[in-house]
Amino acid sequence: MAFHYVVTAHKPTAVTSCVTGNFTSPNDLNLIVAKNTRLEIYLVTPEGLRPVKEVGLYGKVSVMKLFRPQYEKKDLLFIVTMRYNAMILECVSDGENLEIITKAHGNVSDRIGKPSDTGIIAVIDPKARVIGLRLYDGLFKIIPLDKDNSELKASSIRMDELQVMDVEFLHGCSNPTIVLIHQDLNGRHVKTHEISLRDKEFVKIPWRQDNVETEASMIIPVPSPLCGAIVIGQESILYHDGITSVAVAPPVIKQSTIVCYARVDPGGLRYLLGDMAGHLFMLFLETESRGDGADVVKDLKVELLGEISTPECITYLDNGVLYIGSRLGDSQLVKLNTKADENGSYVTIMESFTNLAPIMDMCVVDLERQGQGQLVTCSGAFKEGSLRIIRNGIGIQEHASIDLPGIKGMWALTVASVGKQDNTLVLAFVGQTRVLSLNGEEVEETEIAGFASDQQTFYCGNVTHEQIIQVTPISARLVSAQSKTLVSEWKPHTEKNISVVACNSEQIVVSTGSDLYYIEIHPNELIMKGHVTLDVEIACLDISPLGENATSAQLVAVGLWTDISAYILRLPDLSEAYKENLGGEIIPRSVLMTCFEGHNYLLCALGDGSMFYFSLHKDSGMLTDKKKVTLGTQPTVLRTFRSLSTTNVFACSDRPTVIYSSNHKLVFSNVNMKEVNHMCSLNAEAYPDSLALATDNCVTIGTIDEIQKLHIRTVPLQESPRRIAYQEQSQTFGVLSVRMDIQDSTGLNPSRPSASTMTQSVTVSSSVGSLSLGKSGVSGMSGANTTPEYGQEIEVHNLLIIDQHTFEVLHAHQLMQQEYAMSLISCQLGDDPNTYYVVGTAIVNPEEAEPKQGRLLIFQWADSKLTPISEKEIKGSCYSLAEFNGKLLASINSTVRLFEWTAEKELRLECSHFNNIIALYLKTKGDFVLVGDLMRSMTLLQYKTMEGSFEEIARDYNPNWMTAVEILDDDVFLGSENSFNMFVCQKDSAATTDEERLQMQEVGQFHVGDMVNVFRHGSLVMQNLGETSTPTSGCVLFGTVGGAIGLVTQIPSEFYDFLLELQNKLSTVIKSVGKIEHSYWRSFHTDIKTEPCEGFIDGDLIESFLDLSSEKMKEVAEGLQLVGEGGMKQECTVDDLIKMVEDLTRIH
Amino acid sequence: KCPDPKPKIQAANNFAMRSARRQIGYQSKVLDRKLIHSRFCPVHTIRLPNDDGFYTCVKFLPGDQHIIVGSYTGEIRVFNINSGSANEESTFSAHDSYVVHIEPNREGNLLLSSSTWGRPLSALWSLNGYEMKYAFDDEEYIEFSKATQDRIIGTKGEIATIYDVNTGTSITRLVPTVSNQYTRNKATFSPNDDLVLSDGVLFDVGSGHQIHKLDKLNQMQSGVFHPNGLEIVSNTEVWDIRTFQLLKTVPVLNQCQVVFAPVNSTMYAISLEQEVDEDPTFDSSFKTVDASDYSSIATIDVRRNVYDLAVNRFDTQIAVVENQGVYHAPQESVVRLYDVGRKRDDEDEQEEEDDEEEDMS
Repeated sequence: MAFHYVVTAHKPTAVTSCVTGNFTSPNDLNLIVAKNTRLEIYLVTPEGLRPVKEVGLYGKVSVMKLFRPQYEKKDLLFIVTMRYNAMILECVSDGENLEIITKAHGNVSDRIGKPSDTGIIAVIDPKARVIGLRLYDGLFKIIPLDKDNSELKASSIRMDELQVMDVEFLHGCSNPTIVLIHQDLNGRHVKTHEISLRDKEFVKIPWRQDNVETEASMIIPVPSPLCGAIVIGQESILYHDGITSVAVAPPVIKQSTIVCYARVDPGGLRYLLGDMAGHLFMLFLETESRGDGADVVKDLKVELLGEISTPECITYLDNGVLYIGSRLGDSQLVKLNTKADENGSYVTIMESFTNLAPIMDMCVVDLERQGQGQLVTCSGAFKEGSLRIIRNGIGIQEHASIDLPGIKGMWALTVASVGKQDNTLVLAFVGQTRVLSLNGEEVEETEIAGFASDQQTFYCGNVTHEQIIQVTPISARLVSAQSKTLVSEWKPHTEKNISVVACNSEQIVVSTGSDLYYIEIHPNELIMKGHVTLDVEIACLDISPLGENATSAQLVAVGLWTDISAYILRLPDLSEAYKENLGGEIIPRSVLMTCFEGHNYLLCALGDGSMFYFSLHKDSGMLTDKKKVTLGTQPTVLRTFRSLSTTNVFACSDRPTVIYSSNHKLVFSNVNMKEVNHMCSLNAEAYPDSLALATDNCVTIGTIDEIQKLHIRTVPLQESPRRIAYQEQSQTFGVLSVRMDIQDSTGLNPSRPSASTMTQSVTVSSSVGSLSLGKSGVSGMSGANTTPEYGQEIEVHNLLIIDQHTFEVLHAHQLMQQEYAMSLISCQLGDDPNTYYVVGTAIVNPEEAEPKQGRLLIFQWADSKLTPISEKEIKGSCYSLAEFNGKLLASINSTVRLFEWTAEKELRLECSHFNNIIALYLKTKGDFVLVGDLMRSMTLLQYKTMEGSFEEIARDYNPNWMTAVEILDDDVFLGSENSFNMFVCQKDSAATTDEERLQMQEVGQFHVGDMVNVFRHGSLVMQNLGETSTPTSGCVLFGTVGGAIGLVTQIPSEFYDFLLELQNKLSTVIKSVGKIEHSYWRSFHTDIKTEPCEGFIDGDLIESFLDLSSEKMKEVAEGLQLVGEGGMKQECTVDDLIKMVEDLTRIH
Repeated sequence: KCPDPKPKIQAANNFAMRSARRQIGYQSKVLDRKLIHSRFCPVHTIRLPNDDGFYTCVKFLPGDQHIIVGSYTGEIRVFNINSGSANEESTFSAHDSYVVHIEPNREGNLLLSSSTWGRPLSALWSLNGYEMKYAFDDEEYIEFSKATQDRIIGTKGEIATIYDVNTGTSITRLVPTVSNQYTRNKATFSPNDDLVLSDGVLFDVGSGHQIHKLDKLNQMQSGVFHPNGLEIVSNTEVWDIRTFQLLKTVPVLNQCQVVFAPVNSTMYAISLEQEVDEDPTFDSSFKTVDASDYSSIATIDVRRNVYDLAVNRFDTQIAVVENQGVYHAPQESVVRLYDVGRKRDDEDEQEEEDDEEEDMS
């Protein structure tokens, strides 16, 4: 059996729904955003959006609405999930804590019923009397809201209208009344139904309007006093209230389809409309007096306001500010202006929210060669298309660098200055010290008279009473910060040189071998206050003050050479407070006492790049909770710095790391630099809030990115990227992308500037090509009938070559008309030493069910030129490509084909496999090929070298409609399918009969809740980082339609059993919002079956353990047993669990 | 002028376009299902071991490893279809005559069969050892109840009788007050077993009362329940069970027996034999129809007369009884298994492997 742990590394970012209202309190204006399974609650403040709460649901949000019952002062949230779980949520605050309470919940699905094509629609009566649901054809469900009922129970009303496009409740009706657009054989019609809540049925039809626009698809109810409804069509907009009917066809909306709206004013005279192309419109209702004092709609006006991200939903916040939720691009906070800017736009983008969705493809690369993977994704679609570079860790933005080899230490000083800003950098070298003064951006060498410049500085810094301290092997020198002259000097009593030093602004500890001296800094005076001789030599020291605003320390941390231990000594007498033997043979090289989030730690880095960390009890000096991590492979130097008012530690080593605390756990985040030997904080005039980082050869001054775990960089393409491949040899990425061209009077022209049109270098596949078109009945390929209609959008496919460093598009190769780029790899073939980009294409005739022709194109990128090397005509669409033992493996329609690369640089078919419906995905390992089929799950083939043919080794006979496949190991295969599940199949080589061997066993299944588009082997974190309590092996990353990145890793059976028990306990202790059972949520669910989750551990639930209060943690740990050393079961403590789960969080 | 409907982003006829849109989040399961059900690739052919008679009906046995086939001579045969070639595993003589219908239960331990004449006319068999458990000598056609297979419903003319599976005793007789006189009445349970449709009349099983009589719009078929539990398909008419309104007329289903795929929301339709000059004739094709909107998907010509069709549990394979020649003396009788969704590779002339593939059949 195979067991797996699946966890989200980056939460979904595609916004599917957003609402505004008073949710957290009657006076708070909130924005609530639904991203797949997550709700983000923001407070709208004059400074912008402030996140206040994030909620995970056990379901994918299908509809989200805010409503206000008549007895309430604030709004409640109504949600229906994709699997028909309905819930009413209330936000209750107790002081600082916001809690989401499930006021009512229930499943509103029917055992029988035809789910509607137009999806789940939920509407709420404006007076909050009833919720209406349109889930199934021919049925309207109502949930009366009259009383406090914790069970949401829907009753069904039969509806004659079978195909309903949209439903809304009308305003200003004495009984709840719906208005709907429905379609029948004659076209689309608008109809209303008054609902009797008592009899739970439709009682009358107040008004109707037959034969509205054939593409009418959206209803906007108009509030009182006007009432009535607006019907949005493809080209026209209709207002109707039963009496008045006003219809307009504004030319400005003709180009695209309106997909969402937001009401601006409570009176309902102004609405914002967003269309698929990212246009934002304002719709005005013009009214006139009817004579009896009431107004009536006279005209509708539509005005284009400007361009926004392709919207999925829009909500109006306040003061002309609105939130644009996008599924295909970054969501936005935008402001509407009363005056147009120079481009005629009334829209200003205030803030963008990064969205990776939909992740079409991705590759894992190690561009900086640090042993840590980065993901480059093809994200977004249409004008929102982009590449995103995602790395775990922290980026340093480089602002300046100075070539200076051999730096042994570095400190920033404020010298002879009234300001607080640093203006001097002191650099230590072997046998000398150099001083650089920073004057604006100018850097020049200077001197400080009181310094010993012919000595290597061990420590230097501004200290109390406007003085500067410099410690060299000979002495500690106190220098006036203003006059730069020496005011005092302290030398050890023996002839021994100073070997190690630590200092804060008031205190110094120095050691000469095993002697340790404690010195206090006074005005113009250094006073030795303590001396002790230890048994062994001192390797490292720290005297950092602990606690907020503390300037002096009560404790000294000491690391010792030969007995490999850490001491905590008390000041001023240097008496021993605590001793910790570290074990092993590696000498501690750097110790640091620090405080993260009010919690004191001792960090102790060793000579091999590993680090111990302990909780440090400030009063007793006790060290507890010993833990170990590996940060690098070289001796590590620890330094603190402050970023955004939090304390962080920088670990200088061959793998520089920033250590910080998040949710009271230590997080180790890599920095995007190869090697850092020394660092210091630098806050200079020209370089505020910066870091100075010394490598072997230079000093870099840079700023650190906002500290977060995953760092994302965006490279906009403004067209849809579909596939990506990395080519190390040419230091480029190949990207297949699609732009939209529009046929106009001058022919086909790009609809907007984008990556493929803006590059300098463009080549085009000849439109005739070498394809013998028409031979196999491809019609419409050549001749006059290829000319598209005027205004028609045509997809144009390109191969882009992109520089790996600058992400500049170096070249675009445009394919033929109607030729779609389907697949791409970079590979070497046969004995040919060159590396090629191979593109698989399809000639797409929209009339046909599948392509009948396509090409395999082989290109070489060298010397800034793209050279076509070879092309091969194929009989269908090449959905997937793989390099396979020096040959090219391609899935072409229903076949899997292997091509040899001949000496003449041509592809020659070697063998084929046929037993598929459409072979969409290929993965290879050794002689094995895993094929993912459109409907028939996964098949494993083996290549028989001798026979030169494929043999079908095993097949999963379940009807899974695949969206991605991956080989986990020789016997275990991972697949994802189109109902948002993933599953694991195992080949049973040891089975007794052929039949059993041929049949893969499904050994794991799990509901992801999002469609997986791509699996890739690789990891976002450094591999094999020291000791860990979590025996995971292998790592496969996946990217989803919702923009989430997850990972799947294998775990051993005993660990699975333990985690399963932990998961079961957590699922009872953590009360789910909406009261959906965890087991229900993760069950493998398709249109035809629902089966319990098995073989997978839900890492998202496991990791939520760390967010629990300590009482809850205790409750979870109660009764859990670990298999300890020697196979003995032992009680599992809360600390054991924390460590284990923390280790699990470090795999992503 | 009203604008022409814009093509929906989900709706692209060419799969290459759909596959790209699916990645963006626009699913098009309906069109994918239609693609699958427009193509069938023959994989196995099971010939009659002797020249005596011909195959008449077929079903998959639970597990999809075996098919069970009825024949003209009254014999019922079981074939293992999982191994490279189809092997006959067992056979037993069930009836004296043409087996018109067989139906194994979901557990795979019981079998119902019906024949044209002789004794037993219909019977319930144990599939372990092929022992007859009960004979239903009057029933022309019998089938299991649907949700729980604890009852059997038999049809004789316009009369339907419900039997208990365990005892074989009659529980209820459902007789319409006025017969519709469909020539091929087959009484059947609704998907959740609360209703029975027989002779165009809906009965409530609990009370045995008539609930509704559907308008008679054809001579032969009383109708079957759609597995969605909402509709009755009666020849070309689709009725809404909740309102008894006529929802749709589907001309391609005229005079067709329909077989619903257990998954994928698709129905297969084969023409009922037509009496022409005393001799029944068969159609040489079967049709696929989308079972959610009744749109026609494809007509698949197999060039031989289609007598019966069965779908496996996952709708990945179908078995078709194909006979060539005149009704009572077909020259060739085969059961052919097709892979659903696979394209026949016969267009692909360049590779030899194709031929091997074809040779498997």
